[in-house]
Amino acid sequence: MRFFRQVWVVTVKDLRAELRTKEAINSSLAFALVILLMFSFAFDPLADTTREMSGGLLWIVFAFAGTLVLNRSFARELPNDCLDGLIAAPVSGAAIFLGKAVANFLLVLAVQLISLPVFGVFYSVPWTDQFPELLLVLVLGTWGLTVVGTVSSALTVNIRLRELMLPMLTYPIMFPALLGAMELTATLVTGNPIGPDKSGFLKMMIGFDVIYTAVSLVLVETILVG
Amino acid sequence: MREKRLYLLGVLAVALMAYNLTEIAARPLQALFYIPLCGTAALAAVTSLAASIAFLRTRNFRFDSLAVAATEAGLAFLAAGIVNACFLIHAAAGKWWTWDSRLTAALVCWLLYATYLMLRHAVQEPTKRAASTAVWSVFAFLDVPLAVVTIQWWKPAGHLRFDWTQLRFCNLAAMVLLGTLFTVVRMRQEETRREMDSLRRMTHAL
Repeated sequence: MRFFRQVWVVTVKDLRAELRTKEAINSSLAFALVILLMFSFAFDPLADTTREMSGGLLWIVFAFAGTLVLNRSFARELPNDCLDGLIAAPVSGAAIFLGKAVANFLLVLAVQLISLPVFGVFYSVPWTDQFPELLLVLVLGTWGLTVVGTVSSALTVNIRLRELMLPMLTYPIMFPALLGAMELTATLVTGNPIGPDKSGFLKMMIGFDVIYTAVSLVLVETILVG
Repeated sequence: MREKRLYLLGVLAVALMAYNLTEIAARPLQALFYIPLCGTAALAAVTSLAASIAFLRTRNFRFDSLAVAATEAGLAFLAAGIVNACFLIHAAAGKWWTWDSRLTAALVCWLLYATYLMLRHAVQEPTKRAASTAVWSVFAFLDVPLAVVTIQWWKPAGHLRFDWTQLRFCNLAAMVLLGTLFTVVRMRQEETRREMDSLRRMTHAL
């Protein structure tokens, strides 16, 4: 119980710091909109073939915009040596990690939920038809992204080329979850249900989230303390 | 003495390779090169995982050297395996890359372990570097089965089908020997580098 209260404190602290400055979420949102617009130059936005691959496009946008939020997660703690204070606090590394991951998750999900209607309008995609299923895919995919991204953020916080290294580390690990999310989103936004041929992707995403959350919670102390 | 043993290992590996080349006409190329190359890479990944876990438990820097040596050897072998597969596919389909699930999965694994080396070069402080990369090695290893399975669902296996019965022990043994040799040489380099680093630090302190 104590652990979850500590997680909650870290989450609220991170969200409050972000909502007061809005530095990550604003840049992330602007970036998502710019890429959505740019994709319409690359592909005919109203063609049927574009709609079939729109699930993939959407997740590329989410992955790129998500790293902007994740980059700030630990970098925000660098001025005034806040990170040292956080590590020295009588809170386990796992609680700091989970708190930050939850805060990142909420921020990235917010960016996604704002850019989803824009995407629907730009590409005339019926994304509302199966919204509960789509939300499930969004939540699973985003949790995978934030867990791996928060670990990468902690790994890269003190190194040079931090902004460059985070996506380099996050995307290759994310391959299975991103591939699953792309396949499922493409199926859902074209109006098809998740059939038995695609349900494996859903199970795989759940497995990915569970495995990486567990491993991160065990190993994050090593990353933060060294 | 250690040098002599290494030379002996090298000679043995080369002799086995030369013996394998005499079978080029009798056996499909997959059995001779592709499977042994990728098998050695997989073995290197397991070695790297074991060494990383051992480092995290004992904090002995020899395990860190072993992990990076095995990862680099594995990357080299996997790269050779991918290039070899490209030639096989070109012979079968006339294209260099067909998004065959095995080939794509191999590329994803290669990228995964390439990030390990990038992380290693980016972190400067030795203890932090060893701990970070050990954690990352565990992460990368866990991702391999997930990536392989997912990519198989995405695209079924195409031209890269092989007959496992054609694979013989000495094909694999030659590559594994060569891989071991690379790993040992690279590990010794890493140990020497660490020693030089500590000496340099000592002179600075004095």
